[in-house]
Order: sequence, then C-alpha cells, then structure tokens
Amino acid sequence: MTELAPILAWAVPGLPLAAAVALQATRTPSQADRLNLVTAVATATLALALSAIVLARGGSAPLRGDLYLLDGATGVFVGLIAVIGLCSALLSPAYLRTAGRAWFSAGRSRHWYYAALYGFWGVLLAVPIASNLGLAWLLIEATSATSALLIAFTGARHALEAGWKYLVLTTLGLSVSLLGIVVLAAGLSGEGHEGLGALDWHALEQSASGLPAQATLVAFVLILAGLATKIGWAPVHNWLPDAHSEAPAPISALLSGALLPTVALVAWRVKATLDSAVGGGTAGALFIAFGLVSLVVAIPFLWRSLPWKRLLAYSSLEHMGVIALGIGFGTPLAIAGVVIHVTAHGLAKALGFYAALPLLRSDPHAARQAPQDVLATSRPTAVAMGVSLMALGGLPPFPLFVSELLILLGGISAGETAVASVAALALALGFLGLLHALLEGVIGSPAHRHRTRHRSERPLSALTAAVGAGLLALTVAGLLLPSSAFVETLARGTL
Amino acid sequence: MSSALITAVLVVGMGVIVVRRRSVAVALVAAQSLLLGIGSLTLASERSDEFLVASIVLLTKAIVLPLLLLVLMHRTREPRLVAAAAPALVRLACAGAVALAGAALVPPLGLGDAQAEGSAVALVLVGIAVVGARRPAFFQLLGLLVAENGVSLLAVSVPGGLSYVIELGALLDLALVVTVAAAFTQRIHLELGTGDTELLRGLRD
Repeated sequence: MTELAPILAWAVPGLPLAAAVALQATRTPSQADRLNLVTAVATATLALALSAIVLARGGSAPLRGDLYLLDGATGVFVGLIAVIGLCSALLSPAYLRTAGRAWFSAGRSRHWYYAALYGFWGVLLAVPIASNLGLAWLLIEATSATSALLIAFTGARHALEAGWKYLVLTTLGLSVSLLGIVVLAAGLSGEGHEGLGALDWHALEQSASGLPAQATLVAFVLILAGLATKIGWAPVHNWLPDAHSEAPAPISALLSGALLPTVALVAWRVKATLDSAVGGGTAGALFIAFGLVSLVVAIPFLWRSLPWKRLLAYSSLEHMGVIALGIGFGTPLAIAGVVIHVTAHGLAKALGFYAALPLLRSDPHAARQAPQDVLATSRPTAVAMGVSLMALGGLPPFPLFVSELLILLGGISAGETAVASVAALALALGFLGLLHALLEGVIGSPAHRHRTRHRSERPLSALTAAVGAGLLALTVAGLLLPSSAFVETLARGTL
Repeated sequence: MSSALITAVLVVGMGVIVVRRRSVAVALVAAQSLLLGIGSLTLASERSDEFLVASIVLLTKAIVLPLLLLVLMHRTREPRLVAAAAPALVRLACAGAVALAGAALVPPLGLGDAQAEGSAVALVLVGIAVVGARRPAFFQLLGLLVAENGVSLLAVSVPGGLSYVIELGALLDLALVVTVAAAFTQRIHLELGTGDTELLRGLRD
C-alpha cells in the first residue's frame, strides 16, 4: 500500500481543488449539492486512505518526494482535516437552505460558497503534506483569501467586519513570517544552500546547525510571530473570536478544528528543524510563552455569558495555548498529549459548531446572546452542545482530560514544573467556566422543559453519537500512545 | 541595489501614510513597486531566467495591481472625505518613529547590506502603520502592499535570490489576496455607503 502514498499525496489536495472549479459549472442548486456530496465523500476517502497508510508505518522514516513529506504528523492532520471537511461539506446544504441573505446573488451564492469551501479544504489538506517551509507558507497564505470569503459569506455588516479583520491581520502576520523566511534563505545562501530545496524540511534540519545563530534566531522569531497571528495565539488573536462567530457554522468548524492546528503544525516543524540553530531551549520557551499567554487571556472569557459560537472561539484560544505548551515542552509525553489534543479538540469543537446550525435556526437571537435552556426546546441540540462542552472542558473520560494530563506531565518531566502548575490552574478555571455554560445555557431550568424533536435534527444526533464514539476511542489511544515508537519519532523531530 | 534606490523606496512608502487622495496613494505604491522592479532587473540582468521572473513580478505589481486598484477606486467613490484618525503630520511622525525603532532594534540579518536590511524592516512596519492609522479600507489594502514591498526589498537583496517557485507563488498569493480584499472593499462600500472601517466596530466582548 505504501506505493500508493505518493499518488494520494497529489490526489488528496488535487481533487477538492478541481471540484472547486467544476462546481462553478453546475446549473442548479440541486446539481451543486449532488456534486458536493460525491466530491466530499471521494476527497475524504482518499485522504483517510493516505492517513491510514502513513499511520500504519508507525515510527518508520517519513516518505519523501520533491514536494511532499509523509510522516506521522501528516497522517494525523490529513485524517483530521478529512473528517472535519467531510462533515462540514455534508452539513453545508442544510446551512445554505436557511442561510437567508448572502454576499453573492441568490442564483450564484451556492456555487461561490462551494468553490470557496473546496478551495479552502484542498489547500488546507496540502499544508501537512508540503515538504517545504516555503511551500507551506504559500499554502497558508492561500487559505486566507478563500476562508475570508467564507467568513463574510452572508455579506452582513458583522460578517464583513470579521472577514476584513481576518484578511488584513493574517495577511500582515504572514508578511512578517515571509520576512523571516527571507532572512532564513539569506543565511542558507551564505552556507551554499540555494533554491527551493534549501527550505525543504529535511534539508533545513540537516543544514540548521551550520547557520549563523543570531540571524537564525531573528528568522525563527519572525516566522513564529507571523504564524501566531494565523494560529490565533494571544496576543495576536484579535480576529479569532469575530471570525469564528460570524462564519457559517460548517466553516467555523473547519477554521477552529482544522486550520488553527494545521498552521500550528507548520510552527512545530519550524521548531523541529531550527531547534539546533536557535539553541538552548529558546524555541521551546517562545512556544511556552505563547501558550501561557493564550491560556491566561482566554480564561476570563470562558466565564462570561457569551453567544455560543463566541464561547467556542475563546475555547479555541485556550486549546491552541495548550497545544503550544505541549510543543514547547517537547518531551515524548507532551508530544503524545499534543497528538491526542489536536485530534480530540478538532472533533469536539466541530461538533459544537455543527450544533449551532439547529440552535440558530430555532433561536436566531443566540447569534448575539448566550443560549438559554436549550434542553427545553431541543434535546439533540442540547446533547451535542453538552458533549462538545464536556469534552472541551476536559472532563473524564473524554480524551482532552488524558491529553492535558500528558502535556502537564510532559512539562514536569521537561523541568517546567512552575509553567505546568500555572497551566493546570488555568485549565481548571477554564473547565469551571465551561461547566457554568453547560449548566446555565444548555441544561437550564427543569421547569422550562417542553421538548420538541424535529426531523432535521436526526443527522445531528447521529453525528453526536459518532463523534462521542470517536472521542472515547481517542481516550484509549491516548493511554497507549506515550510509549509508542510513533510518538518517539515525532518527539525526536526527524523530518 | 543602490543606496539612492533603497531610500526612494522607503520615502515613497512613507508617503502612503500621509496623502489624502486615493489616486495619489495608488501612484505611490505603483512607483514603489516600479523602483523595486528596476532594482531587481538590474541585479538579474545577466541571468535570463531571473530576469524573466523579475519582469513578471514588476509587470504584476507595478501595472496590473495598480490598475485593479484604480478600477476599485472608481467603483467606490466616497460621498465625503473620510475623517482621518490623526493629522497627517502626527501619522507621519508615528510611522517614522516606528520605522526607525524597528530598523535600529533588528540585529544584522546576514545579508551584508545593512541599509537594505533596515529599510526592509522599516517598510514592513510602515505598511503595518498604514493599516493601523488609515481608516478607509482602500488605504488599509494599500498598507498590505507596502508591507509586502518591504519583504520584496529584502528578498531582492538575498545573494542568489529566492527560489522562483516562492517568488511566483508569493506573487500569485498577493494577487489573490488583493483581489479578495478589493471585493471586500467594494462590498463594505455597498453595505455602509463608505469605505470607513471605523464603522466596522460592532463586534466587541
């Protein structure tokens, strides 16, 4: 099966990108919906096949080509993006049926939505496959344009504000990142490494120790600071709550569950390749600083009565902080935690955003105020929101409990006991904030319950069951992963 | 690149934070891209493939994108002058201070050309300052281009240059972002009757 991997590495991003063009040629909304269904299933099948092939290799050396790198992290991220992309694509027709006004004319809005969705999904799938820092940057920049259009899809004033802020801030951030890449390229050129191949992850890792320390440190800081704006790490996270709350729910799921951690993967790879040049734990310290600041900034917002999608957005800030801590600690325990955390956060967060579809349909005011007594009006929506909140809060037996524990233990084993203690306190406070939202907003008062069940909520119930089962499977994986060769290879950072 | 050319690129960039008329700002950004293009073509004159890439970049950034911006300008006429966030001299002084501080604080970047290094960092900071200090969406879009030109200034100064794939890919990304940002500017104008982003401040916690 390994011989199929290079073909799949091209087909996985290629198919959705081709579909983005083909969807423009469909004549009716139902034709577009049918092509969406077929393409989504085909893309996810190919991506999951690639993920399975790569993950089945365990801790073996990565498969490398001129433009692709298939290592364990590729397997995890491609699988995650495939699952969230599939769910988002399949739920999009339900969103579009009730979306109301759109930026584009009524006749073409669905075509543009799908074109942007598949453009975004295809480019996002290519990021973990890219073998090269320069290519990864180009792909991340390309996600800005496609996803900004999706964020502002309704064309309403708030959506335009969120989309514009996202486009401008992330583009500026990525300009800073490119400045860092140019500085790095200059250093490599001085050592006789030129052209695109010099920025190949593997080549970069090999040549890093010979690079000038000071210039490489500047390059690393610029690259990381720029990527941080796209990951949504505090203090450069201003676009994140607005974009997540104003985007269509299926897009919010992709942004939070897939885009943010995928850009974090690129930051992780930059750390893995340049660690020896930057030296002395400096790279790890920067990740830890971003992680702690993100956690501390997010917590007060998790305690406030916020609209559902804004609450989930601040939860993303918290969890990106946890991932930054895990990468910064860098021990095998912490890396095992990061792998589980990325996957479980993606699934739980996506479920939370999907639950916003029926929530906002039955109560449009929930877009601007905290939900109230959801259980009283819809049990499936309340269950989905509850599962999402309990998982995101890190309640056992959900896998985020295991992953956070692994990351904290990884921090202690790295000698960062004080950081781990502060992080543990912040996570406990975050848990209490989400528990408050669960009790007050989702469960509410028993006196108000008069349940109704709509046919349209059956898919959400099925999705909740599937995600719940997936999360429990991840808990088991989280218990087995720390001692595996897979994690040892990832922690060594061999690319 | 010559010292005079680098200074000219920086001065023209500073102009974008001051000027009132959008057409003048577009002309400044086009002139800045043209100067960078000339510098790049001079360096690449002995190698045909590098010359070709530099020519494509020059054509796109100094001609195609400014033309797109002029079309956008005509489609989004402001009914009245958008009030400035601060007087022009204050904006200029602040941007100048930020640029000087940035250029002074950044250590040697290893290119062996301290003026190009300092000017590139300063120009990126000026671009960020344009986005922060100018209220119209149109000017914020120009700020993105000024920042990108700062990166280009550094890229031109790298011995051996950047990979063509990255140069052309970055150009394609820039064109994509400018096109989407132009669509946003037009839509914001349609929705609000003006391009004043000060009116887009409804999302707060």
